[in-house]
Amino acid sequence: MVVSMVGCGNSDNNDAKDTKAETKAAETKAADDTKEADDTKEAEEGGLEGSLVIWTLAKDLETMAAKFVEENPGVTIDTTIIEPADYVSKTMTAILGGDDTIDIIVGEPQMLQPMFEAGMFEDLTAMGCDEFADDMVDYMLEVGQDEDGVQRAISYQICPSGFYYRRDIAQEVFGYDDPESVGELFSSYDKILETAQTLKDAGYAIFASDGELGYMSGDSAWVIDGELNVDQARYDYMDLCVDLYQGGYTTYASAWSSPWYAAMAGEVAYLKPDTNVWDADAVAEASEGADTTEVFAFGLPSWGVLTMRDNYGDTRGSWGICSGPSYGFGGGTWLGISTASHNKDLAWEFIKWVVADIDTVNWWIKTSEGDIPAYIPALEAHADDENEVYGGQKLFQFWLEQAEGIDYSKVTQYDTAIGDAWSEAINTIKTEAGTKEEAIATFYDTVASTYPEITINK
Amino acid sequence: MASTTAKKNKLKNKDYVGVIMIIPFVVVFCIFSIYPVLRTLRLSFTNYKGYGDATFNGLDNYIRCLTDKFFWRALWNTIKMWGVNIILQLGLAFLLTIVFSDIKYKIKGLPVFRVIYYLPNLIAVTTVAILFSSLLDRSYGSVNQLLVHSGITKTPIDWLGKTSITPYVVSVIQTWMWFGNSFIMLMASVQGINNDYFEAAAIDGAGRWTVFGKITLPLIKPILLYVSITSLIGGLQLFDLPYLMCGGTVGNPAGSTQTVIMYLYKFGFETWQTGYASAVAYVLFLLVLIVSLIQFKVGGKED
Repeated sequence: MVVSMVGCGNSDNNDAKDTKAETKAAETKAADDTKEADDTKEAEEGGLEGSLVIWTLAKDLETMAAKFVEENPGVTIDTTIIEPADYVSKTMTAILGGDDTIDIIVGEPQMLQPMFEAGMFEDLTAMGCDEFADDMVDYMLEVGQDEDGVQRAISYQICPSGFYYRRDIAQEVFGYDDPESVGELFSSYDKILETAQTLKDAGYAIFASDGELGYMSGDSAWVIDGELNVDQARYDYMDLCVDLYQGGYTTYASAWSSPWYAAMAGEVAYLKPDTNVWDADAVAEASEGADTTEVFAFGLPSWGVLTMRDNYGDTRGSWGICSGPSYGFGGGTWLGISTASHNKDLAWEFIKWVVADIDTVNWWIKTSEGDIPAYIPALEAHADDENEVYGGQKLFQFWLEQAEGIDYSKVTQYDTAIGDAWSEAINTIKTEAGTKEEAIATFYDTVASTYPEITINK
Repeated sequence: MASTTAKKNKLKNKDYVGVIMIIPFVVVFCIFSIYPVLRTLRLSFTNYKGYGDATFNGLDNYIRCLTDKFFWRALWNTIKMWGVNIILQLGLAFLLTIVFSDIKYKIKGLPVFRVIYYLPNLIAVTTVAILFSSLLDRSYGSVNQLLVHSGITKTPIDWLGKTSITPYVVSVIQTWMWFGNSFIMLMASVQGINNDYFEAAAIDGAGRWTVFGKITLPLIKPILLYVSITSLIGGLQLFDLPYLMCGGTVGNPAGSTQTVIMYLYKFGFETWQTGYASAVAYVLFLLVLIVSLIQFKVGGKED
């Protein structure tokens, strides 16, 4: 859940701009300003009217709502932010309990299907989303569809995954730092282990935690035609995580802990495998007198640019982003209209404005300082934008390529629980709390207990 | 005239006033307690997901529960943790009761000690979880540092990472949280015993343990029964402390601290199987009912 909060939360602090565009963007900005002035005039002359209530789980929509109201003074928007962990239960209780005051509701990918089944989200095809569906990234649309393929929610962002790597370390150890070449170092699990060893020999740690492949853990389906599918790729991933942990290739900082963030800024201590990374005193004691290193890479979705922005400190400008062993994604916020809403037309105008209005999307790219839109015309318009923080890399182009490789058809409603059980098995093996056979047997038993309707052939 | 007078007298009858006074409570109780309990029973015979339609599926949920080894594991974990806790909790409460009620010692400051012993019960369980997670940290927790530096142990003990230790750690923390509550109730019960019994026993030359066994224990049996049954009900519903300290519903390490309610929570709130979770709730209810009845039968026997 912390991941989701980080992924979907953006600061609206415009004081420090980390991302600058070249001359083309400056020209775009001038055009935007002119258009904005025109829009304001249009709003003053008329515009939409009414009021909306939005229940969301991050600050993004609150910022967007303020902008929408600015452009449409006749509209008032009341935004409520609910913690992701509580969002589904609170929203479901409210709407299924008859609350018809909520107009726009949201969800992260793993939250959506139960809410679709509960009949909470309006049919957006009927509202007219087909008019711009061809301009949206495919996987984003697929995530927002129910079991019958009806579009129930759409997102303003895409969150494909990649590895954020240190260019300076890559140049020093491997002799090159371009994303294509560095991507080869992460192209398979065997390659990753080789890379880890090369880096270790040079005094670096490939990752801060052994869970950096969590967003790129393979694209095989967990369940196919009602049968559990644990293929060789899953076992290879398991072996890699165990090897990374037991081989001392990481600094033993769990993702999202303070030493994990600290590793983005440069030198950190090698912690012990059993260090409680959530206890500041324990980390401080473990760090005292310990060997130090620098971490080479972090595996994160596209919103990782915001995590990095807030933590890279002096390493700013030393990073690049490359592909991993498979395509993947993580997080993101999908918007939809409550079926109980009395303001569906106005709600749809807001959603359209957020996801498919080029001016809004350009404004959001600037405001969010790094969010990647799902609107293809905006991605193409910024395709040649070079990001100085990432060595002049054309990030929009990169992320679009990654997003186009995502196959959402393999995702099922069982994935979260099964994935958690598989992670538990990996934890058991890597910490030697049990043998591999015991851990895998427990995994199968856990899946059988949790979902008796799934056929399991061991 | 006579019937009007009778009516007026009826209205003035305090019984009716009493009934009117408790109606609000009864209404609220029915809405927020009775109705949910009955609805849960109905849902336990369906495949309800927390939304949508609830399709009747007979006894499937109950059969699934009773044939799931993880349910029995969770039940055994719960009994184990509760069992150790109740023995320590009541044992400690009894010991303190004996000490503070001893006529010979006449220890002063009982009100102060009562407050001190009850304080752990007032601390929020989230705070307790954070506190003990830090104290029991394997590498840098104060407990291990004390044990290693004093030479009691050579290597740090993995208090929260060993299946043979962690459940009992949870039991001990529960004891620390609740022994004060048991002590207060036992002490209040002892203080309610007529002093003449103790004086007569002293005159007859009865020793401390004879007084305890023949006078104190039989006379506090009702409160003892109450404490043990409420402890049983609370213990079998153990959730908060192991959930917070041991990695959520997983019940680390290796499921050894997963209780029945954690198992229920996983199905009811994490995997959208509300119907099944309702059945688990009723299986637990029936188990608690059976054990409570046994306790009443055994504990309620007259000497």
